[in-house]
Amino acid sequence: MSETPASETPGSETPGSETPGTPVVRVVGLHREYGREAGLVRAVDGVDLEVAAGETLAVMGPSGCGKSTLLHLLGGLDRPTAGEIWLSGQRVDQMSERALGRLRRDGVGFVFQAFHLMDELTAVENVELPALLAGRSPRAARRRAAELLDRVGLADRASFLPSALSGGQRQRVAVARALSNDPLVVLADEPTGNLDSEATVDVLRLFEELHEAGQTLVVVTHDARIAATADRLISMRDGAFVDETRLTGGSSGQLGALAGLEG
Amino acid sequence: MGRLALIGRLAARDLRRRPAQAGLLLIAIMAATTTLTLALALHGVTGHPYQRTRAATAGPDVVAEYGPPGTGQPSQPSQPSQPSQPSQPSQPVTPDARPLIHAPGVTEHSGPFLAASVLLRAHGIAVSVLAEGRAPGRAKVDQPLVTSGTWVRPGTVVLERTLATALGVRPGDAVTLGGRRFKVAGTAVSAAQTPFPNMCEAGCMTSGGGPGPGLAWVTPASARALARQAAWIYVLNLRLTDPGRAPALAAEFGQNRRLTPAASLLIPWQVVRNADGLLVADEQSVLEPGSWLLGLLAVATVGVLTGGRVAEQARRVGRLKAAGGTPGLIAAVLLAENLALALVAAAAGLAAGWLAAPLLTSPGAGLVGAPGAPSLTPSTIGLVAAMALAVALVATLVPALRAARTSTVVALADTARPPRRRHALIAVTRRLPAPLLIGLRLAGRRPRRLVLSMASTTVTAAGIVAVLAFHAMSDAHRVAAASGLANPVATRDGQVLAVLTVALIALAGLNAVVTTWATVLDTRHSAALTRALGATPGQVSAGLSAAQLIAALPGVLLGIPAGLLLYKVANGSGQLVTPPAWWLASAAAGILAAVAALAVVSARAGTRAAVARTLQAETA
Amino acid sequence: MQQEVVLALLAKEPSHGYELRARLGQALGPLGDSMNAGQIYVTLARLEKAGLVTSERSAGLADRPDRKVYELSAAGQLRVAGWLAEVSWPKPDLTEFHLKLVAAAAAGLADPVAMVDTQRRELLRRLREAQRAAMAEPDGSAAGLLLEGIVLRLQADLRWLEECERNWTGRRRPS
Repeated sequence: MSETPASETPGSETPGSETPGTPVVRVVGLHREYGREAGLVRAVDGVDLEVAAGETLAVMGPSGCGKSTLLHLLGGLDRPTAGEIWLSGQRVDQMSERALGRLRRDGVGFVFQAFHLMDELTAVENVELPALLAGRSPRAARRRAAELLDRVGLADRASFLPSALSGGQRQRVAVARALSNDPLVVLADEPTGNLDSEATVDVLRLFEELHEAGQTLVVVTHDARIAATADRLISMRDGAFVDETRLTGGSSGQLGALAGLEG
Repeated sequence: MGRLALIGRLAARDLRRRPAQAGLLLIAIMAATTTLTLALALHGVTGHPYQRTRAATAGPDVVAEYGPPGTGQPSQPSQPSQPSQPSQPSQPVTPDARPLIHAPGVTEHSGPFLAASVLLRAHGIAVSVLAEGRAPGRAKVDQPLVTSGTWVRPGTVVLERTLATALGVRPGDAVTLGGRRFKVAGTAVSAAQTPFPNMCEAGCMTSGGGPGPGLAWVTPASARALARQAAWIYVLNLRLTDPGRAPALAAEFGQNRRLTPAASLLIPWQVVRNADGLLVADEQSVLEPGSWLLGLLAVATVGVLTGGRVAEQARRVGRLKAAGGTPGLIAAVLLAENLALALVAAAAGLAAGWLAAPLLTSPGAGLVGAPGAPSLTPSTIGLVAAMALAVALVATLVPALRAARTSTVVALADTARPPRRRHALIAVTRRLPAPLLIGLRLAGRRPRRLVLSMASTTVTAAGIVAVLAFHAMSDAHRVAAASGLANPVATRDGQVLAVLTVALIALAGLNAVVTTWATVLDTRHSAALTRALGATPGQVSAGLSAAQLIAALPGVLLGIPAGLLLYKVANGSGQLVTPPAWWLASAAAGILAAVAALAVVSARAGTRAAVARTLQAETA
Repeated sequence: MQQEVVLALLAKEPSHGYELRARLGQALGPLGDSMNAGQIYVTLARLEKAGLVTSERSAGLADRPDRKVYELSAAGQLRVAGWLAEVSWPKPDLTEFHLKLVAAAAAGLADPVAMVDTQRRELLRRLREAQRAAMAEPDGSAAGLLLEGIVLRLQADLRWLEECERNWTGRRRPS
C-alpha cells in the first residue's frame, strides 16, 4: 500500500475518516489566554480538531507550545477563553464544575507526566479510586481494578505502594487508573517524560495494546518514539497547529535500508 | 549588615508568596493575644478590687456607728435585717466621740457625720438610703472617690455608684430624698460600706427591708434637715496604727463602755471586705474559668496553625539549603518571618483586647475596678508580648531543628511530611459514599489536627455548658425584685456572661474556619487530583466539612460533662448544677450546626482553584 | 556488504556461502529479509581476489559459488583481529542534509522548512516501522537489540530535525 505524505493544511480533516459517526473529540476555534495586555500569553491560539473513535492522535511540539494546555482543556481541567469543545456529541466547555467532575469520571481518563498517584494507597487502591468516586460498589470496583492491573501486567504488584514501584510501573498503574471507568478517550500528557528507555518501551507496548483494543487515545509528547505509535501526528507551535501527518500505512520494506546493509 | 538585609528580604519574599498561610497564622496569634489581654483584664478586675477602693478613698480601718441613745441591740453582721425600730423622730444629738478618737491604737479619724435613713425615689422606684452629711473639704479618712459628675453641693446628692446604676440614675437627674427634691450631682465609691445591695451583710444599725439600703452623700445642712423627720445615726471613721488588728480592736472597743455607748456598732474593714466579696464571688466563679477557657481555645487555634506551618516549612527549608543556606541562615529567616507576624499580632491583640475589655468590666461595679477602659499595665503588655514571642519561637525552632538534622535531599523530596498509610481508614472509607471517602481521607492525613479541633470543640462546649449551669443556678436564686429594681449583681453577671459566651463562640468559630482552611491548604494537591479523577468541588467541600463535623461530635459530647464539672469546681458551694436537658441539647446542636456551616464555607472557598494549575504547581 | 563483516563471520570456522548467509540472517532478523541473496557471494569473490580469503571446492561438484567452502587466510585473520580491536564509530551523516538545506536556501530552489518537514515525516515513518519490529522481537534477541539501536538513532535524528525546523523558520522570518 503506497502512501503519499499527507501534508494537508493544518487542522483540516481528511473527509471520510476510518470510522463513520460522531467523532469522539471535536474542537472548534479553541483559545486559551492568560494575563493581560503586555503580559498576554496565547497558550492555545485558534485550534480546530477532530478525533475519530479508536484513533490514536499524537500532538508534538517544543516546550511551551501549548500542547499540555490543549490537553487540559480537552479533559475539563481548565476552561477555554473562547471556542467549543465537544466530547461524543456533548458540549463540554460551558459545563458547570459539577458536570465537569462527572465528565472526568466517566468520559475521560488522564495520564500525567508526574504519574500523580496517591502515595499512601497501594496500586490496586489507586486504580479503584475513580470507580469508587463514581459510586460503584467497593467489591465491583476492586474487581475491575484487579482486572486492569492484570491487563497492564502488574497483577503481582497490586498491593505495593507507589514508592516500591519503578517509574515505568507507576505509569502503568496510572494508565490502569485512567481506564477504570471505561472512558471515551484517554488523554496522556507526556507519559514517558519521566521514564528511562526501558520503562518507555513498557508504556509504548501498553499504548499499542490499547490502540488494538480500540481505545481512543490523545497523547501529547515531545518524544518521537511515542509519536511514532500514533495514527495521526499533529505538530504544534505557539499555540497553533502547523502540520499534520498520517502515519498509518504498511511496511515499506525499507528496513534493510535502515540497517545500512546496502552498498 | 548585608546579612541582615538578606534575611529580611528572604523573609519578606516568603511571606508575600504565601499570603494565605501567613494571614492565618497572624489571625490565630491575634486571637490568642486578644483573649489573653481580655483574660488579664478580667483577672485584674476581680482580683483585689476592694483593696484598690480602700487605697483610692483612704478607707477606714474601723467604722463606728452611733445610734440614738436608748435604741436596742443593733443588727448583727450577716443576719437578716430586722424590721426597722419604731423611730420616734428625735433630734440628732452629736455623740461624744472623743474617748474613741483618743483610744490607744487610733491614729486618724473623720466625722462623726450625721446620716439619715430616708426613702429615695427615682424614676418611679423607691429604695431606702443612708444619706451621710459631708462637707466639701477632703476628709482624712474615707473620702469617697467621685466616679462621674461632681462632689456634693448644696441642694444636690451624690449616690453610690452601684445604687445609681441599679436605679438608672445619672448626674443631673432629679430625685426625691425623704420627700425633698434633690438634683444628682454625681456618683462615687467608698470602702467604708459594702456597696448596694449588700450593705447590711456587714452589719447595720438601720435597715429598710428588701434590698439595701444604699449609700448617698449630701451636705451637712441637708442631712440635718432630713434627720428631723427620719431615723438617724452618726458615722465615725477611724484609722489604726495596725490595720491588721482591726477586728480585735473593734471587739475590744465595742465592749468597753468607757469608749463606746451601748447603742453603737463597730465594723472592722475586713468584715466589709468579706461582705463585699459576696458580690464578686459569683462573678469570679464565672470570669476566672471563663478567661482560662478563652486562653485554652486560643492556644488550640495557634497549635493547629503552627503545626500546619511546620509541615509546609520542610520543603522551603530544603530549598534554602539546596541554594547554599546554612542551617543558621535558615533559622534566621524563619525566625524573622514568625517574629514579624507575632509582633504585629501581639500589638493588634493588645489593642483589640483593650477596646473590648470595658464590655466585660463595665458599669455596675461599686468598686474601683475599671471605670471606662482599663489602662494597659506593663505586666499585661509584657505577658501578651511574651506569649506571642513564645509562639514565634516554637514555630521556628521545630522546623529549624529538623532542617539541621535532615539531609537536603530528603527535605527537598519531602512533600511536607508524607502521610503515613492508615490501613483502617482506607479500608473503612472505601465503603462509604464518595464525599465521605474524600473528606475522611483528606482530613485523616493530619490526625493531630483533627484531635486539636476536637479538643477546641470540647473547650467551647464546656464553656457554654458552664454558662448554662450558671444561668440555671441564678434563675433559682434570683433576688426578689420587690420594688421592680434590677438586681445589679444579676444584671452585671448577665452582661459578663453574655460577652463571655459571645467571645467563646467567636473564637470557636474562628477555630473551625481556621482548621478547615488549613486542611484545605494542606491537601490542595490531593484534592486537585481527586477532582481530576472525577470528584466535583461540591463533593470535596462536603467531604471536608463532614470530616470536621465528625471530629466535632465527640468533642461536644465530652464537653457537656466537662462543663458541668467545671462549674461545680468553680462555684463557691461546690454543688453540681444540671441545667435542663433541652438547654444542653440545643447548645450541642447549635455548636455542631455552627461548626458544619463554617466548615462548609471555608471548604467551598478553598476548592475553587483550577485543577490544572494546582497539579502543575505542585510538581514545579 | 561490508567486507570486514564477512571476514569476521568466517572467523568461527570455514563455511559455505549459504551458511554465512544464514548466520547473517539470524543476527539481523527482519532487517536481513531484504538483503540481496547474491551480495554475499560478490563480497566473497572480492575478498578472495584481495587474498584475505581462500576457497576450496567441495569435492565432486560443479564450479558453482554456493558449493565452495571459504576460509580465512593468514592475512584475513590479521585483518579481522585489527577490525575487532578498532574503536572507530560510524560517522553520522548529517553534513549532507545540512548542506542540502543551505544550498536550497541560497539558490532559492526550495523552501528549507518544507524540506525539513518532509524529511521528518519520512523519518517518523521509519521510526514507526523499526519500533514495531523491535517490539515484535523476543526479549534478549540480538536482532531486537540492533533494532532498538536504530530506533534510538532515529529518535536523535528527529530531535535534530526539530531544531533545524525551528532554526530555519526563524531565518525565514524577516528580523
